[in-house]
Amino acid sequence: MSFVLLPFGDTAWRARLPEGSDGASRRVLLEGLRALPDVIDVVVSECHALVVLAPGVPLDGAREAIARTLARASSPAPHEPLRPELREHRVLVRYDGADLADVASTTGLSQAEVVAIHAGTAYEVTAMGFLPGFAYLRALDPRLLLPRRATPRPRVPALSVAIAGPYTGVYPFASPGGWHLLGMAVGFVPFDTGTGAAMSLGDRVRFVALGDEAAP
Amino acid sequence: MITILAVSGLATVQDGGRPGHMHEGVPPGGPLVPELLARANAAVGNEEREAGLEVFGALTLSGTAGTLVASDEGVLVELGAHEPWRVVGAGARVRYVALRGGIDVPRVLGGRGTLLGAGLGGHDGRALRRGDVLRVGEPRTVQRGRPRAAADLEGAIHVVAGPDLERFDPRALDVLLASEFRVDASSDRVGIRLIGPPLRRVAGDLGTSCPMVRGAIQVPPSGAPIVMGPDHPTTGGYPVLAAVVLGSLSALGARPVGAVVRFVAAR
Repeated sequence: MSFVLLPFGDTAWRARLPEGSDGASRRVLLEGLRALPDVIDVVVSECHALVVLAPGVPLDGAREAIARTLARASSPAPHEPLRPELREHRVLVRYDGADLADVASTTGLSQAEVVAIHAGTAYEVTAMGFLPGFAYLRALDPRLLLPRRATPRPRVPALSVAIAGPYTGVYPFASPGGWHLLGMAVGFVPFDTGTGAAMSLGDRVRFVALGDEAAP
Repeated sequence: MITILAVSGLATVQDGGRPGHMHEGVPPGGPLVPELLARANAAVGNEEREAGLEVFGALTLSGTAGTLVASDEGVLVELGAHEPWRVVGAGARVRYVALRGGIDVPRVLGGRGTLLGAGLGGHDGRALRRGDVLRVGEPRTVQRGRPRAAADLEGAIHVVAGPDLERFDPRALDVLLASEFRVDASSDRVGIRLIGPPLRRVAGDLGTSCPMVRGAIQVPPSGAPIVMGPDHPTTGGYPVLAAVVLGSLSALGARPVGAVVRFVAAR
């Protein structure tokens, strides 16, 4: 498989990734690219990989190693283990978000059904971005698919659990935001200043409604 | 030790940044004008990425007798006890203050700089205010200070075209390279917003969020470009017409609100 590598400024390359890759295989790619010499930062989103080189490193010099790593990640040798160290997160949620009633009426579901569907789905971290520690989680149940709010809120509280498009996620910090708020995460630290982001690309996430903690 | 006596505007602790954490959603950080922090640091004998103060507006401080301080003008001053020392904007976009030994705030994920959006790093993760007391670090060099040639911060900003060229009208790049833009007042460390002729797109947003770099020229549907600053979100959904090269970041960051920005193709 060949990848289109395009310069992004004079210190980075951006590659377009094949459609439909899963979070776990993109995690392998992320770690492979981060291990390359002269690479200072890597971001792997759903469709792209960005590789930032140390200042002063010529772009062309790093190109071949990046292309090789991309090719290897897309077609691993049979003996190569493709399972990175993925974690599972269980996030308690108090489902009392400001948009819960609106989401229920727009989708034609009851509030209890919205909660049951949201908490009844296993999610995968499909990309990290937007804010430190923010994880884009897929795949939201199609019954909860809604476009972003027409008018974003100037301030969404930290730890809000929200949905938009095919995604759900937890706001690590208060920030402007256009997602629909279903509730608040309880006892979850999305970003720690000592250890960084709690979630990583490819990790699995389940939400548990407060009061249902004993559920499996 | 220094004490902040007055701030008008916005002042934060900033250093060379915290590269290596973008995959966790943490922006690279660093000074808006790396060249000017380097110049202030050189004047007090620090390494050029040492933590100093980034000041939009004006700031007055005092320090323990013998504290060595310099602004980005590069003049070394030895403070007397209770002697106030002041740096003012004077038409500059941003000013820098360096102290010999740097500023001894804790390193967070490898950097001492402040990321205001996340309340992370710097002095309690927030902007400085009157009465704040900051510890000065131990000098790591014996050299007392040296001049650093003033960089040319005027002139055109060099850019590399792409990577989303196919999402733009074929003339959009010509418009970027042939037009005069001005720095909008809503610009900050997250992004520098520019006013000018619209850069027309032929396709919508990127659909999913895509990785961004500092210097990326994102174009929202309005056609008014936003250049990603040191605290940019690590992903974004608007297509990128071109990206500012590393060597031009200081010149762009130093442009005051309302100043003219022209772009030129790199090489």
